[in-house]
Amino acid sequence: MPTPDAPRTLADQFRNWPDDRVAALLEQRPDLGVPAPLDSAQLASRAVVRVSVVRALDLLDRLELETLLAVIQVGPAPEHEIAAVLAAEPASVATALERLAALALVWGTTDAWRATTVVADLIGLPTGPPEPEIDGLLADIDERARTILDHLDETDAAGTVADARTPVRVAGASTPTEHLLARRLLMARDDRHVVVPWTVRLHLRGGRSTRYPVDVAPELADSERTAAQIDRAAAGAAYEFTRRTEMLLEAWATRPPAGLRAGGLGVRDLRAAADLVHAELAATALVIETAAAAHLLAQGMNDDLDSAWLPTDAYDAWAARSTAERWQVLAKAWLDNPRLASAVGGRDGDKPVNALSPGLERSWLPGDRRTTLEALADLPVGRALAAGTGTASLVARLRWHHPRRPAARLDLTPTTLAEAAALGLTGLSGLSGFGRTLLAGDDAAPALSDLLPTPVDHVLIQADLTAVAPGPLEQEFARRLALLADVESRGGATVYRFTVDSVRRSFDSGWSAVEVKDFLASSSRTPVPQALDYLVDDVARRFGTLRLGAAEAFLRSDDETALTELMHNSAAASLRLRRIAPTVIVSDVPLQVLLPRLRELGAAPVVEAADGTVRIARPDEFRARTPRSHTAEVRADVRRAARTSAVVAAIRAGDRAAAERPSRGPARAPADVMSLLREAAETSAEVWIGYLDNHGTSSERVVKPLEVGGGQLSAYDARTEEVRSFAVHRITEARLAPAPE
Amino acid sequence: MNDGPLIVQSDKTLLLEVDHERAAEARRAIAPFAELERSPEHIHTYRLTPLGLWNARAAGHDAEQVIDTLLAFSRYAVPHSLLVDIAETMDRYGRLRLEKHPVHGLVLATTDRAVFTEVIRSKKVAGMLGEMLDEDTVSVHPSQRGNLKQALLKLGWPAEDFAGYVDGEAHAIALVEDGWQLRDYQKQAAESFWHGGSGVVVLPCGAGKTIVGAAAMAHAQATTLILVTNTVSARQWKAELLKRTTLTEEEIGEYSGARKEIRPVTIATYQVLTLRRKGVYPHLELLDARDWGLVVYDEVHLLPAPIFRMTADLQARRRIGLTATLIREDGREGDVFSLIGPKRFDAPWKDIEAQGWIAPADCVEVRVTLPEGERLAYATADADERYRLAACTPAKTTVAEQLVAQHLGEPTLVIGQYLDQLDELGEHLGAPVIKGETSVKERQELFAAFREGEIDLLVVSKVANFSIDLPEAAVAIQVSGSFGSRQEEAQRLGRLLRPKADGRTARFYTIVARDTVDADFAQNRQRFLAEQGYAYRILDAADIGKVVD
Repeated sequence: MPTPDAPRTLADQFRNWPDDRVAALLEQRPDLGVPAPLDSAQLASRAVVRVSVVRALDLLDRLELETLLAVIQVGPAPEHEIAAVLAAEPASVATALERLAALALVWGTTDAWRATTVVADLIGLPTGPPEPEIDGLLADIDERARTILDHLDETDAAGTVADARTPVRVAGASTPTEHLLARRLLMARDDRHVVVPWTVRLHLRGGRSTRYPVDVAPELADSERTAAQIDRAAAGAAYEFTRRTEMLLEAWATRPPAGLRAGGLGVRDLRAAADLVHAELAATALVIETAAAAHLLAQGMNDDLDSAWLPTDAYDAWAARSTAERWQVLAKAWLDNPRLASAVGGRDGDKPVNALSPGLERSWLPGDRRTTLEALADLPVGRALAAGTGTASLVARLRWHHPRRPAARLDLTPTTLAEAAALGLTGLSGLSGFGRTLLAGDDAAPALSDLLPTPVDHVLIQADLTAVAPGPLEQEFARRLALLADVESRGGATVYRFTVDSVRRSFDSGWSAVEVKDFLASSSRTPVPQALDYLVDDVARRFGTLRLGAAEAFLRSDDETALTELMHNSAAASLRLRRIAPTVIVSDVPLQVLLPRLRELGAAPVVEAADGTVRIARPDEFRARTPRSHTAEVRADVRRAARTSAVVAAIRAGDRAAAERPSRGPARAPADVMSLLREAAETSAEVWIGYLDNHGTSSERVVKPLEVGGGQLSAYDARTEEVRSFAVHRITEARLAPAPE
Repeated sequence: MNDGPLIVQSDKTLLLEVDHERAAEARRAIAPFAELERSPEHIHTYRLTPLGLWNARAAGHDAEQVIDTLLAFSRYAVPHSLLVDIAETMDRYGRLRLEKHPVHGLVLATTDRAVFTEVIRSKKVAGMLGEMLDEDTVSVHPSQRGNLKQALLKLGWPAEDFAGYVDGEAHAIALVEDGWQLRDYQKQAAESFWHGGSGVVVLPCGAGKTIVGAAAMAHAQATTLILVTNTVSARQWKAELLKRTTLTEEEIGEYSGARKEIRPVTIATYQVLTLRRKGVYPHLELLDARDWGLVVYDEVHLLPAPIFRMTADLQARRRIGLTATLIREDGREGDVFSLIGPKRFDAPWKDIEAQGWIAPADCVEVRVTLPEGERLAYATADADERYRLAACTPAKTTVAEQLVAQHLGEPTLVIGQYLDQLDELGEHLGAPVIKGETSVKERQELFAAFREGEIDLLVVSKVANFSIDLPEAAVAIQVSGSFGSRQEEAQRLGRLLRPKADGRTARFYTIVARDTVDADFAQNRQRFLAEQGYAYRILDAADIGKVVD
């Protein structure tokens, strides 16, 4: 709360603020606290730096911005005068002023609010002709000029002219714009832009700064959808999105797409991915980008050490969790993802933009996404954006909340909504219940998992050799079934098809015909069709007719007796010989070793072509390392809080130092300084010193000297809250500080 | 959680759980817009395709209805993207309309100017459109009516045809219902067609498509051109029309290789129309020989490409297509849609079987093992010889004999692909053989004798696949086929499905050589039949006699 005593300056005001208020300011405008300001004076001067003010202005909604403009134009003025020119309830104006003051964009008291000068420079309007003259001036201009004036007034826009500053006289005016400029109905903002001045604006708008109430955010156009409908549709999308992510990464584990040299994923790989997950290119790009943002996908190396996109080891942990939890990971990653996934597939100049390619980061994107969804959360449960007009009304509302947000960013609103729908945060254009929970920062998984299909543990096997799982299968069961049959169609249910190849695959991994049949019989709710039994038997009959193995060397001889003799020779035991046919022996001892040993045993072998070995390649799944997360939010928050309080403490210490600056001649001579410091060290008194650091920056601080010697002062510095040493020759001034109150 | 019978998959298939209490209701609700793809015993698969959705639009259903149906019957949440896709696809039909303008003749009009602009600028329609009449209308050369519809379908903006039809030369035709009656579904099929103007009626083999054709003619009351696959089929059409309608011998002409009669009702074969000499089709003028009021296309799924081109010029005449399946092995379903018309009526095989109009069938695959010598010959044969070797193994002859002996007295067909094999079978079984070179007259005599019950065993080649009515055939033994074509399978099975006088179950045997390509093709066949919902059993040749009945 502003104190009743009117502060003389902004710095003065800061000094009188309670600590929590300063802390609140630093929370809202964190750039003011880095590096920690020396004192309130420095804080005040930082608060009016142009860049910082522009940032602060971006935080304002339409009401606050209009209020600020009114303060600039009519201030310093008491609150009721400011409220008088605003089309808003006085209570709303008071709230707006309070926030503007908290942001240090205006200061003073309720009796005399004033804006900082730089704010006025940034958004202020020229004053314009006195009110009583305006009617006359308006009557004086022709229709074309009036059209221009009305247009600029309605759009709140600045008009561009060749040279705005050249003074024009009424007599010399030729064009309509010149007529307006000459009568000061338009005035120059800068060299090239003209605006409708303040008094003219008020006049045209009936004495208020806007025609319409400015303290009410535009309503969202909505329509009725039951919460159940919304949740159901959203859960469908959430399930679908999670499934697509899993399907894609599962496929990429064995056949990873190459990483482009310029970074990112090739268009062909994106298309292949889209075919795989049955989605449009844009939806597929979103799946890929979100997986990467969730650290489930990263660049690594494939078999040939080429760069490739691979699921990370975090993917394994993710895949083992429940669908709802998996979705939550993806949804959070999407919310915080600064990458503009919707740019994928478009062009950047003449270059196509690839998925996962560098340069798509937009720092404002996560913030914009949240504000969009939060605006949607303003709708009561059971309502959704109306079809057609809903999106436009949402954009209007966002524009009210963030009037200074560039149009290009607001234009992304439909994209954000489409992405949120694809992820299942929304359904039927309404925010889902679990989406609301997630936005609020709570665990949304339990609410979602109630909406998802319940896992089933059986399938229906049919005579056309398909098996249908009428819901998501339990993971282990699904894995076993996927070994035995190919997946033909996915969704809420999964359709598997048994083929010769798929059944053989299960035999390859060690199942027997009996095991396969038992598994089928136990997993099917319906009798296993005869045709499937035949298929399994057919495969079993042919399975293993050919035998394949690995050996380092073979021995063959038409003389079976010679081979038998060799097998029974105890000296040959270390050669690890194995007879695989009457005339063939194999060994896993390499040829180079085998040959001399056989010669030692008295045999006289001849070496045949050396390429008789067979190797079995087993496809490996690849994993990349999970990138270190840069967003350890909780720790960042703690750190930020700690920093803010440290900054406040530093400012307070600085204030004291400044307040205690000596008004009369201080101890300047080195000898005086030394004796003062020694005295202080002995009495444990605090000393105010002026100090010039290594960089030549002068600072003032209050220290508690501990020891003086060797040209160094060792003292406790209240500013950094630590004991440090100061070079005595750099101390410019010193005096005893009075004990703190 | 909703407990519906339907699961909507993201690949646009719909899975219908047959045993669910609301299954029948759901089936009726989705039938207008989803194509039945497979109907095995527990879960039926339907597919949403653009053509299917447009067919539904043509039948007066809108996207809202389709989406409501899916939501109402779906067990799980329906993927959002799918709903959007359905709405967008359905919305594409009818944005463009072909209309008759009182002054300018045929015009293309629109309710959506952006689409209109996109379409008329497309290269694909270049040369088909005339001058712009206003911002939403452009004139169309009357000769391009069909081509334009084809082109627009390819562009993804199918036009609705409101341009109407010429009445054609009037000719009185009526059904003579003495001792028989038009079945309900036949009546509905003919009426749906007539209200729709033009289009395709999908009925299973043996469901009486010829009669639907006759009923359509009775609606049209005009001269009719009937296009059929071959001469035998043409004769059967003629016989059927004489029996079922007021038409007399003099009113029905046959236009085939043998005869060139043009009469108020003319039955022509695809073959003669597509006959090409020196780059021209000499028999095409038949299409303009009379002012036809109706064109009937039998077996639309076999319609050859030149007929499509000719049909493009027949857009002002009413057209009815008759078929057992819309699936074309050449993938030209879109041309059928745009040139002949949308699907007007569809009744699933099983439904009609349930009503007792076609006989139930039992499909059995009999597996024979190649003798060792043949196995070696097979293993070392060239790839293109393998099927022949496997299909013609003498082991099959033995099994065929056993099966014939088992069904002694029941009308039996032995069907094969290879003539040597058929001759050999004919000799062994002591049965007449009908193949391509058998004269039409001889064929008709043999078929007639079979129908009358004078002979109960025929060995036939693939000539018997189509449109030959052998209602009494109760057993078919297939020894070889053309590489497991699904269409052929449907046709051969169709021979058996005419209802039997004593309500017997038809038997369909396929003899397959184990561990050969023959068995691989048999897999396709097995899949097709199982998908159609037929019981399918596998038997070892050694077990014949033990298991049957």
